[in-house]
Amino acid sequence: MRAMTAILGLSLAVALGACKIVPNPEPGSENAASQTDEDRMAAKAAEVYDSQLVPYVSGKAIDLPVLTSALHGGYEAAGKAHGIRPQAEGSPWNFLVKGQGTVIEANRESRAATLTLDATGDGQADVTIQLGPVIKGTALRDSADFIVFTDYRDQIEFAKLARALNDRTHAAITLPEGDLTGKTVRFEGATTLRSATDPILVVPTVLDVQP
Amino acid sequence: MKLTRRLMISALGLAMTVATPSFAAAEGTIAIITPSHDNPFFKAEAVGAEARAKELGYDTVVMVHDDDPNKQLELFNTAIGQGVKAIILDNAGADATVAAVQAAKDAGIPSFLIDREIKESGIAVSQIVSNNYQGAQLGAEEFVKLMGETGKYAELLGREADTNAGIRSSGYHDIIDQYPDMEMVAQQTANWSQTEAYTVMETILQANPDIKGVISGNDTMAMGAWAALEAAGRTDVIVVGFDGSNDVRDSIKAGGIKATVLQPAYRQAQLAVEQADAYLKNGSTGVDEKQLMDCILINAENADKLETFALAE
Repeated sequence: MRAMTAILGLSLAVALGACKIVPNPEPGSENAASQTDEDRMAAKAAEVYDSQLVPYVSGKAIDLPVLTSALHGGYEAAGKAHGIRPQAEGSPWNFLVKGQGTVIEANRESRAATLTLDATGDGQADVTIQLGPVIKGTALRDSADFIVFTDYRDQIEFAKLARALNDRTHAAITLPEGDLTGKTVRFEGATTLRSATDPILVVPTVLDVQP
Repeated sequence: MKLTRRLMISALGLAMTVATPSFAAAEGTIAIITPSHDNPFFKAEAVGAEARAKELGYDTVVMVHDDDPNKQLELFNTAIGQGVKAIILDNAGADATVAAVQAAKDAGIPSFLIDREIKESGIAVSQIVSNNYQGAQLGAEEFVKLMGETGKYAELLGREADTNAGIRSSGYHDIIDQYPDMEMVAQQTANWSQTEAYTVMETILQANPDIKGVISGNDTMAMGAWAALEAAGRTDVIVVGFDGSNDVRDSIKAGGIKATVLQPAYRQAQLAVEQADAYLKNGSTGVDEKQLMDCILINAENADKLETFALAE
């Protein structure tokens, strides 16, 4: 966009017969008012992600078996005991969860890359970790009790914030190259569940491959 | 003309209420202000709010602003002048409405907003809106599935000035764009309008006869697009809408349009009245001002449970 503007400006200048070079604006020179929603929410995500969100998840995450057994007792009960949700009717429960498991499937080709883990040793999938770059949902945003919709201008801004937090997650993930199948992975993160039988799809704030 | 008549009836109703106190509800009057009821979505809001208000013992005044901020301000002044207890509002503009809601607040009358936000918080007591981003992602996931994750498609956008047009489009693309074989060949606005969508769809079809799907920012545009596709004998094209109208429900049941996303408009309006009641009685709604209500995917599996923007249990 900036380059386009510069080119446009340049061609205009040429068209007007003046021999004037239009410089690119200095990066970072814009004030907050001229930033796009996307830029502002990316800055907000950068501000809260490492300093607040990652420690918040670490402090509140429950062990995966605690979550799965709570869900056996019913969705609402599990939500009331361990979940977080915005104060709006019909909002699904979000859970902060941690654990480890063996990678039984690694889909790293897709734009929506994932690792599927067996955490109980029965060879069955228990949890799927989202790697991105495309990370679905708004679990991170909605499970953070310090992020409140009322503080944001509108849905657009609020959606961009969710997206920016997911982007931070993707950027923070560093995994070794190659096939991870069979490796043990430790994670902390957030998941949105709409029923007790929903697959547990985690947006990770911590993701380590065990040596 | 229609508005004038409605207003006069409303004013008459109010006058009668005042004149005949024995019939007046104990709790006072709630004003319900929405865009024109010509769109069944807004009618459902008004009907839902009115029904709940009556159940809770309030009289109601129902008025329409026809998306005109000046008219909306006049209606607010009328409501303030009549001394209503609370105002339920689907507003006529995110910026322009701030002054009207502030005027009511200054007069001691709380406002409870539904469907559309205003660009300030701390003026209205509640702002309850559909989670358009979540809903659009649901619709897009279904669209991609129906398309078999591949093929050429067109997107019909809503009115550019409307927040919901932008947010739905970005929700759609956050999902669709991750599938490299999904190719958008046209993206055009039809301004939420059925007739405009018909014309736009005709043009898109001429330029792209090999189109496989259409994703639309709302149901009325989806209906317009479907009519154009039918007229061109292209009922093989996959169409997905947004809102959950009875028209699209009927089309889904008849095997026409494939899916839509329900905004719980009826419940949203009822909830606003419940929060108004709580606020009037306890001085607080007990919840955050701004609330996002999740949307629900509607397809052939659950279409027959849909009626007037509500899904039967």
